[in-house]
Amino acid sequence: MTISSTALMFIVVVATGVATLTPILLLALFIRDWKKGCLW
Amino acid sequence: MNGLDAPILPTPVAWGLLIAFSILWVALGWWLGRHNRSAEDHMLAGRNVGMALATATAMATWVTANTTMTAPQLALQLGVWGMLGYSLGALGLILFAPLARRIRELMPRGFTSGDFIRLRYGTFTWRVFLVVSLIYAFGWLVSMAMAGGVLINALAGIDYRVGMTVILTVCVVYTLLGGLRAVIGTDFIQTVIIIAGAAFIAWLTIDRVGFEAIHFNLMEERPELLNLLFPAAIMFLFNNLLFGVGEIFHSNVWWSRAFAFGRNVGFRAYLLGGLLWLPIPIVAGFIALATPALGINVPAADMVGPLVAAEVLGLTGAIVVFIVVFAALASSLDSLLAATSDLVTRDIYRGHIRPQASEQNQFRATKVIVVLLGLLTWLAASYRGELPIIGSLAELLYFTGAFVASAIWPIVAGLYWRRANPRGAAWSMILGSGIGLASYFLIGFYVAALVGAAVSLAVMVLSTWLAPRPFDWDRLARDDVQPKGSPA
Repeated sequence: MTISSTALMFIVVVATGVATLTPILLLALFIRDWKKGCLW
Repeated sequence: MNGLDAPILPTPVAWGLLIAFSILWVALGWWLGRHNRSAEDHMLAGRNVGMALATATAMATWVTANTTMTAPQLALQLGVWGMLGYSLGALGLILFAPLARRIRELMPRGFTSGDFIRLRYGTFTWRVFLVVSLIYAFGWLVSMAMAGGVLINALAGIDYRVGMTVILTVCVVYTLLGGLRAVIGTDFIQTVIIIAGAAFIAWLTIDRVGFEAIHFNLMEERPELLNLLFPAAIMFLFNNLLFGVGEIFHSNVWWSRAFAFGRNVGFRAYLLGGLLWLPIPIVAGFIALATPALGINVPAADMVGPLVAAEVLGLTGAIVVFIVVFAALASSLDSLLAATSDLVTRDIYRGHIRPQASEQNQFRATKVIVVLLGLLTWLAASYRGELPIIGSLAELLYFTGAFVASAIWPIVAGLYWRRANPRGAAWSMILGSGIGLASYFLIGFYVAALVGAAVSLAVMVLSTWLAPRPFDWDRLARDDVQPKGSPA
């Protein structure tokens, strides 16, 4: 049973998309914590 | 040179990057740790780390050189299941989320995982746990130091021992200067660098090679890598799941963060960190599947990631990979140095050698121990390939699988099961590790954690069923605050 090209593309594109958004989310969380004075 | 004909990155560029990032990490470490005055400041960063830094440090620590270099290696060896199986390591972070909340509730003033095992199960089990935990911690440290040397050697032609020494020294210095606060602060920047870099390489590989070409060439040359019923790969998937859970559940790296994160932060940070970590091994591993399409000859499996990046992106790819792996190495090495030195300070130095050690004694001891750990790691990593068990990165990593997986059930039972048998907990770790190791040598690296966890579960359940020992949970918080406790 072999994975199709489409299925492989779907998995990799979704994973890469999430990874692309992650740094943005972390920076947003950092700014929120910093403004609330609860970084540490 | 690992079979590579020429360095991918010009040596002066590599030295420039090494020096620039080394200065950055050391300066940040000093700046972040400049107000540390006690062992608690140094070890637990003030016990009030917020959501952003907590999530990033959970992710950064779990994205190791083993993720960025072994994920492509496993994709090359085990195909689609190799990278998917590696991504299941995220379940360790996700499942640890409720445990982090429970740990913080039960032991609001706790320091280490050893503290918990000592108070919950007594001296014998505590000592067994320390052996298991320290073997794992040391194996992980050595594997990351090795990865640093291998990377620098392959990418820039810098001697393996020189590169490994530089990376290890930098991590020791900034961990020494700033403790956990330095580790968590640098982890945030390192997480952003690692994930952005990995995503950048993946998008460009997709753009330059394309899925059709990758799929077609794999079908022609390595069809087994696309097989969803690849038996060894499916076994690896479950093995890796248990390995990841075992690593996180028992290791002081994660426990010290549970103690350090602010109240109500631990659960959310581990959960979010796990969900965001899930795609990273797929992003890092997928590029290895492009090797047949690119016609790359891979001389050493653990170098496939950097080779593909350099082939697709040239100098830019080599630079990005170099920075990503340096950040990944540093983010895990520093965490492990800090957490292991805490464990040795609290559980060996204070627990066994000097029970009356003051807070200041422990503060000084933890710094000395960071340096000694660095030296020991350097010695072991210097003999890469010359010791019988230290072969490739993946082999070394999975060698420790039997140990860590055998600690899963004693930890879970200890936190949630009032009647868990303390002797049973010790024997579940001993027998799980022993039989798991035997399976590593007799069957293969991909079953060690699976067998270790199964044996450990059977012993834990059986011993508690036959001889239950009720426990008073309040004892954990009560004894935990005693400043000069001795072994139970």
